[in-house]
Amino acid sequence: MDVNLSELIAALPEDDPSSTVNAAWAQERLREILADIAQRPAPASSLHRLWMLSELSTQIALAYLALWVRRWFDDAEAGKRRLMETNLRMALKTFHRLGYMRGAMTKLGQTAGNLPGILPAQVADTLDRLHFEAPPMHYPLIREVVRNEFGKESEEVFLSFEKEAFAAASLGQVHRARLKSGQPVAVKIQYPGIARTIDADFRNLSALVLPLRLGKAWESQKAQFEEIRRMLNQEVDYLQEAESQRLAGELFRPEDGIVVPRVYAGYSGKRVLTTDYLQGLHLPDYLATNPTQASRNAFGTKIYVAWMRMYLAFMTYGDPHPGNYLFLSDGRLGLIDFGCVQHYGPEERELVRLAEKMAYEDPSIIREVVQRACGVAEDDPELDDYVRMMEESLNWMMEPVRQPGAFDFGDEAHFQRGMDWFSRVLRRRQVRAHPMYVYWNRSVFGFKALLFRLRAQVDVHAIVHQERPR
Amino acid sequence: MRITAEAKSATRQRILQAAMSLFVSDGWQHTTTRGIAVAAGIATGTLFNYFPTKEAIAAALMAEALERAGEEFHAGHSGENSLEADLFSLIWSGLRSLREFRKCLAAASETIFSPLARQSPDSPGDAIRVDHLELVEAILTSHGFPAPRPVVTVQLYWTLYLGVFAYWAADDSPGQEDTLALLDQSLKLFAASLKFDQGRGTHGCQPQ
Repeated sequence: MDVNLSELIAALPEDDPSSTVNAAWAQERLREILADIAQRPAPASSLHRLWMLSELSTQIALAYLALWVRRWFDDAEAGKRRLMETNLRMALKTFHRLGYMRGAMTKLGQTAGNLPGILPAQVADTLDRLHFEAPPMHYPLIREVVRNEFGKESEEVFLSFEKEAFAAASLGQVHRARLKSGQPVAVKIQYPGIARTIDADFRNLSALVLPLRLGKAWESQKAQFEEIRRMLNQEVDYLQEAESQRLAGELFRPEDGIVVPRVYAGYSGKRVLTTDYLQGLHLPDYLATNPTQASRNAFGTKIYVAWMRMYLAFMTYGDPHPGNYLFLSDGRLGLIDFGCVQHYGPEERELVRLAEKMAYEDPSIIREVVQRACGVAEDDPELDDYVRMMEESLNWMMEPVRQPGAFDFGDEAHFQRGMDWFSRVLRRRQVRAHPMYVYWNRSVFGFKALLFRLRAQVDVHAIVHQERPR
Repeated sequence: MRITAEAKSATRQRILQAAMSLFVSDGWQHTTTRGIAVAAGIATGTLFNYFPTKEAIAAALMAEALERAGEEFHAGHSGENSLEADLFSLIWSGLRSLREFRKCLAAASETIFSPLARQSPDSPGDAIRVDHLELVEAILTSHGFPAPRPVVTVQLYWTLYLGVFAYWAADDSPGQEDTLALLDQSLKLFAASLKFDQGRGTHGCQPQ
């Protein structure tokens, strides 16, 4: 099957303003595209893989964006709709021509990969593999990145340095090495120049979202868009990641069984990050060992505790995809990537406190929460709709908390309810929200998707009791 | 008075060192052959006995640096690397050795590497091209791509090399990291084209 983005573009109306596009048809085509991709063998050559990675992530990201944006025009007047759609189509075409391996697009594609409720399971698996297959760098290139960072050869900086990477990281790869002291470490190296493409990517993306500027939620969306740009730039700055990792490390005690590898600041820079080397399995390999339910539950509990403790410390783990967790043979959970940690300032902290109060102490403040979290004024005719949306969200979030004893995150119905809520929000265009919620939503869906795949049963009630400040 | 080969060589080196200093401090445009001669402590006429033009001096500096880079590449060559990695090492060690007067080369290379200038036997850049391509030929052969190879293959390589070179000369990214990425991608493209040609030669175009 020869499919590409042009078919998605073709899904948009051409010149006839009376024509309507069948969103269900487009959705079905998208599923076919994804299913086809999933059936293809993993590309063998690095060039082909590089091409696949970029094409795949770009197509998926754009496909979702196209379907999402289309819903905004459903009830617009015909002339305006045609203009918007022409703009969108041109923007998509332009972007497709530019759509080679770029930082922002790759990250967007990765995000889509961890939502099993949206994607067929086999596609999620394919994207999982791609998580670990960023463009490969050969050793002479690695040496130059190290030299750029430290002004010295890798042989001078480290006692030993393995030439072959043992894992791919987002936008880079990870090598085993030893410090001069003999300490085994993992050295994450970023592909050169990729960080500086983020802003250029966003300039291109601006063309894509331009049609949204006519909507009521434009100001809010612009702020959310800016937050994504800010976070992606933060994610490619390994000095910032080192600081987030250090702060996260301080949150966990040995008895938690949650390990954050130590950062070696003297061996780290903007593009190179050196940490303790942790030996463990990623989720697919762990699941392949056919672990007991007790083991799944124990790891699930640690994943929940880690997420909640960071959230309550005002640093949300914004990218809880499976590649960032290690399942250690002694039962400990390793957290290994802190590039996407959202640090809350005073304004966001106040929103967290307010939301916590609403969830656990005083549900009657929901209107106040909505007004502040979504920027919907008291006299806004949409306020009641937003309040209902918030109630639905709260009910879904609190399901595991309200249930005494272990909650089964493997229950597909629970996950599906969350996805349904998210779909309704998009369908109703209830997208006005403080920019912090872009990553908060991603974080919640990400870690719940992880627990779903783990089929973990977790006593959330007890965790909340233990973790929440009294 | 008869000038010994040693004296000639020493004068040549003095000219090159003086030129390098002036290129770095004053830039390409503001450096003249007269200024170089003064800095080297020789008459301008004497300088022309060694180098007919300013471009020829720059080309000689480049040739020396690239020769050193070639030696460095051979010294560090383990035979374990991929074709892309070997070509990357060769090219980047050359560019690194030229880093000091990188900015000057942006202007000088227009003349030195002009395809039109290559038609002249005295073209200062042609010797660099020939020497560099010899090294590349050896690397290709060691990776199982024996000569003779199509002219187009060599031309494709040289075009990519010049593109990378020109980009590098004007690259303001930190540590020229954008050039690193461009070089990496260009060599992947080149290696893929070689492998494609090889595959086609073995399996394709069979008589019906």
